[in-house]
Amino acid sequence: MNAPRSDVVPLDALGARGPYRAHNRLAVTDVAGQESAELSLVPPLFVDQTMKAMHRAATPAPDERIGMIGRAAELFATATLNGLTPDAYAYRVSRVGGTPISVVQATATAIAARLRKAHYSVEHARPTGAVHRWDDPLTRTGRAVWVRSGNVFAVHAAGNHPGPHSLWPEALALGYRVAVRPSRREPFTPHRLVTALRAAGFGDDQVALLPTDHTTADALLRGADLGLVYGGEDVVRKYASDPSVLTQGPGRSKILLTREVDWREHLDTIVDSVSGHGGTGCVNTTALFVEGDPAPLCAALAERLAAVPSLPPEDPAAAFPVQPLATAKALEAHLLHQASGTRPWLGGEGMLDELGDGSAVLRAAVHQLDRPDAPQAAVELPFPCVWVAPWTREAGLPPLRNSLVLTAVTHDDRLVAELVEEPSISNVYVGNHRTYWMESGLPHDGYLAEFLMRCKSVIRD
Amino acid sequence: MSRAATEVLDLPLDIPPEPDELIRAAMAWHFGPTGSPFWLERAKSLPFDPLTDIRTHDDLTLFPNVAAELRDVRTQDLIPRGYGQTPDVVGVFESGGTTGAPKRVVLLRDWLERMLHWSNLNLDAHGFERGVDWLGLVPSGPHIVGEYFRRSAATHGRHGFTLDLDPRWVKKLIAAGRRADADAYAEHLVDQAAFVLRTQDIGVLTITPPLLERIARRDDLTELVNEKVRAIRWGGTQLDPDSRYLYKTEIFPDVVLCGNYGSTMILGFAGERPGLPDDAGCVFDPYSPYVTFSVVNPETLRPVGYGDRGRVLVHHVSKSFFLPNNLERDTATRIEPLAGHTGDAVADIAAVTTFENENVIEGVY
Repeated sequence: MNAPRSDVVPLDALGARGPYRAHNRLAVTDVAGQESAELSLVPPLFVDQTMKAMHRAATPAPDERIGMIGRAAELFATATLNGLTPDAYAYRVSRVGGTPISVVQATATAIAARLRKAHYSVEHARPTGAVHRWDDPLTRTGRAVWVRSGNVFAVHAAGNHPGPHSLWPEALALGYRVAVRPSRREPFTPHRLVTALRAAGFGDDQVALLPTDHTTADALLRGADLGLVYGGEDVVRKYASDPSVLTQGPGRSKILLTREVDWREHLDTIVDSVSGHGGTGCVNTTALFVEGDPAPLCAALAERLAAVPSLPPEDPAAAFPVQPLATAKALEAHLLHQASGTRPWLGGEGMLDELGDGSAVLRAAVHQLDRPDAPQAAVELPFPCVWVAPWTREAGLPPLRNSLVLTAVTHDDRLVAELVEEPSISNVYVGNHRTYWMESGLPHDGYLAEFLMRCKSVIRD
Repeated sequence: MSRAATEVLDLPLDIPPEPDELIRAAMAWHFGPTGSPFWLERAKSLPFDPLTDIRTHDDLTLFPNVAAELRDVRTQDLIPRGYGQTPDVVGVFESGGTTGAPKRVVLLRDWLERMLHWSNLNLDAHGFERGVDWLGLVPSGPHIVGEYFRRSAATHGRHGFTLDLDPRWVKKLIAAGRRADADAYAEHLVDQAAFVLRTQDIGVLTITPPLLERIARRDDLTELVNEKVRAIRWGGTQLDPDSRYLYKTEIFPDVVLCGNYGSTMILGFAGERPGLPDDAGCVFDPYSPYVTFSVVNPETLRPVGYGDRGRVLVHHVSKSFFLPNNLERDTATRIEPLAGHTGDAVADIAAVTTFENENVIEGVY
């Protein structure tokens, strides 16, 4: 399955009237610059018409949609969709996104598993006092009913990793119609997922894929009741004042190791947290805080990460991400610029390793910071890049703030209580848990359903 | 100068001049005593003599591009003296003003009528019904398109309904990042159009693609257009082939859709070639041989191959005005002209696609 594939896959827009092959098509290239797909880009008019059709569309009954999502999970994991077998799909994603193929395959399995439990997941977000239906007997004496805040949901998807695509189908489980704008960097996963959902029974006006150019992107949000946007600091700022848009910004996940624990017992967890899943996720560890001397840990971490081979992304043993050489060079220059003044343990002279076909492996980088509040600790990059800083009780909470996940390897329960109470930390894992650990039914950055649903009082005679 | 030398500039409306004869007549007119003060003065610094050295249409490329000078020149100096003491001036018009100060041109009656005659025939060829009422959502004030709207409505249709549209203000808002204000202005325009659409018998809608998109966004207005409007004439900005297809097949399936590619500097516009398939981009033919295009490599100014992209170079050669070699900011695909036409037809104008910002490298998304 690793034989080079020279054929170009058409990725049509999936509008309310079915697939549409646009005149305006974008060449999606792999990490070596070879064209892999032709993505149909639709104009604002097409987006407007699709969003209008989605507003008019019906919502399938709850059990029906859960059944369809379950069937879609099966198809996503096993079927040939848009001419791509699961293996061919994984190959394309690895070549285009640069994500190691074993990670793509594991993620595809994980997406299917999460889809099968979509109903179970969203159910956890329902306030315990609220019931599902207005005609629940409890509403006779007055009760909260859990209802959608809108009907049409738009997603500006991420392209860093296929994983985030397991989240938005929860909106379908809740009865939303969903329009997804794929990222040019990896449109295969959302195309496959929407195709699977349609094959499983969702109507063309109930789930759509609307690839657009940058200037048209806002048409999706404008046409939807609520939206979800992945992006960097700039995107978070842009939508900060818009209550109808939920942003998923930088993760800046961290690990804290306090003095009473021996980091040697946790080295596997640390290495995996930094580099697992290709090290490109928002749940990969960006900064490591160590109470005591960070140097021995840096040395051990650097040694482990240095031993990982540089391989093309479609190699089953690949572990690090790959990018086109130009992108890799820009990232390297950015890293070296940011790292000035820090103590390099790995990648101090650069972290890219050319594969000779126009692409380069983004190898791991380990840098030691001299103080807990060094600004580098917030620099999150799309490859295994970790900043290791000393931490003290006096430094306290501030350097640990703004974390999607914080793994605290500590026996200090009071500190744990403070971390759990800290509003800017989304998830706290205590002890030997990788920062990328996730489970159906548990919130990732809060429950998506917290954003999509509300409670309404209903009483009746 | 003999009368015969320039009479080819005054041929009856339905008789097209022979292209090279037109050029020689225009040189005699614009560079003889009948010429405008602007050109007579400008001719002194030309390295050739237009009266003897410019014999054919191809020779026009010897001229420098003087379009930028139209920002500062006295407009009175643009009128050929041959029109006498009381030239029939329809108005003074200005370019969009996208790139700094606007350029000015003078529209004279004889050219307006020639252009209208040609353009009305183009509308007939597209199946526009004569004698209906028109509604125009097009720039007003100093923009020539507003004048052409009124005159087209009056000659091809019956009444023309207008509104105020200031494109420069919209450009300023967008440049300043005030997207919401630009949106509010556009919605204000559509609101005004809605009053006319609801109450009047509008048979032809003249509109820019971004505003047509806003009309299509509103179900009630889409319905009104489908109910009343028999033809839509668009222009001002481009309509991509995918949107065009959607209008023609889904949104306004029974309405004639016809585009213009206009420019103040050609004192008019090129019309959509009739009979193009629904699922294709628009091809525009200019009013040859008075207005001609060539699609060129912007560095060498040599024509690109048919089917290749380049910058649009325009010539305007009429009795009322002479502006050769004006390099427009638009890019287009070079298309073979219709039989008997001079220069190129153009398609796929402008439309530069950007996807997302490649420079942002921090973060994982």
